[in-house]
Amino acid sequence: MRAMGEQKEVLKVEKVTKKYASKEVVKEASLAVNEGEIKVLIGPSGGGKSTLLQCINFLVTPDKGRIWLEGKEVLHSQKKNLYEYRQKVGMIFQDFNLFDHLTALGNVEIALLKVRKMTKKDARDRAVAELERVGLRDHIRKYPAQLSGGQKQRVSIARALAMDPKVMLLDEPTSALDPELITEVHAVIKALGAEGMTMVMATHQIGFASHLADEMLFMEDGIIVETGAPAKLLLQAEYARTREFCAKLTGRYGETR
Amino acid sequence: MEELLFIRQDVLPALLRGLRISLMLIIPSGLCGFALGVFVGALRVYGSPWVKRLTNGYVIIFRGFPLVVQLFIWYFGLPHIGIYLTPFLASVLGFTLCSAAYHSEYVRGAFQSIKGGQRLAAQALGFTKLEMIRTIILPQAFRRAVPGCGNELIYLIKYSSLAYMITCIELTGEGKVIASETFKYTEIFFMVGLIYLLLTSLATLSLRRIEDKLRIPGFDNYNP
Repeated sequence: MRAMGEQKEVLKVEKVTKKYASKEVVKEASLAVNEGEIKVLIGPSGGGKSTLLQCINFLVTPDKGRIWLEGKEVLHSQKKNLYEYRQKVGMIFQDFNLFDHLTALGNVEIALLKVRKMTKKDARDRAVAELERVGLRDHIRKYPAQLSGGQKQRVSIARALAMDPKVMLLDEPTSALDPELITEVHAVIKALGAEGMTMVMATHQIGFASHLADEMLFMEDGIIVETGAPAKLLLQAEYARTREFCAKLTGRYGETR
Repeated sequence: MEELLFIRQDVLPALLRGLRISLMLIIPSGLCGFALGVFVGALRVYGSPWVKRLTNGYVIIFRGFPLVVQLFIWYFGLPHIGIYLTPFLASVLGFTLCSAAYHSEYVRGAFQSIKGGQRLAAQALGFTKLEMIRTIILPQAFRRAVPGCGNELIYLIKYSSLAYMITCIELTGEGKVIASETFKYTEIFFMVGLIYLLLTSLATLSLRRIEDKLRIPGFDNYNP
């Protein structure tokens, strides 16, 4: 964990609510992330972590709530404002969502060309650099179907990083991976954290997350039940439900510290 | 000997003349039909509810009316509202609109087969909807649609023969004229049939080529 310098709030989420039919999947969720901070969402599947992350960049339109990026409120009903905001928020999905018709290089390049309108050469240089950064220098010409799950997820991380995001949202980035492929993705995320990337990550990998996180948020039934430093949340949580969940996980995933 | 001379002097020139007209019908109808089909197919998937209703209605009508009836309407019907089309133009219009309705069905299926996650990823990167459809969805949907749309092109080659029903004398029309002059129906229509077979075979081969060219690892039945 990093030393806390001057605090600059990158992302603020206030009372975001999302209903499907009559069920509230996310209920008045609020959080704030300072520059360089890493917040980790934990909690049972179906607890609303994914929906909350998707609400944050309006892939799912929240029914209520407000969001600020670097102190500026996001007006998501104004298309231009929304598109600009999304460029600054990197998103990593559980199942990678690479573009199947493009090579690793093409996947990273395309948004630089079509969204940021960079020149071909600049886009190419940047894409190559980002792919090298995630250790895929030798695979840039491969198509998604020719890459392993871990490699695919690293391409998707490179794709997000190329946009110079102010904050990254990671939605269970290793849940779809074989155990032996998880490590390579974790290494990339860890390196990002060390470089000071601001992140909000949902994960079930408690051991990994507890080393990385500045703060953990336990979410269940759409509510952020409890928030705290990893040590506190995992070992001395206030709420019985949090304790129960964490005990199960730490039991399953081994030592946390 | 006499027979061969007859074929060389009368039959072949007539059929070649007809073939030229057939190609002039097929090529623009094929291209415009495909382009319009992609456009309509995209609207049927991504359009607003109203646009969807409108385009779906178009497809119902143009797939539902027999093509000959459509041609009759364009050629014999339109003059009643003051629009006069030549037999050739009426045929191209009829073929294009009918073909596009079928293409749009293949294209719609192809659009829908693209995994939703890629749309989310594109949106998350800040793509506008139009740019996302153009650069992410369309190139993939296009590849998926090629086999079906190719099939439609093969149909078009054959149903272009209906043009002679509205006096656009193409290959079948020329054959009919000579056949009724000479009463050699079997021989002449056999030759006409062979020419259509040649055209469809050429189309099949070029479509295969296109499919191979567009092939991407992991798409459809690619075998590395």
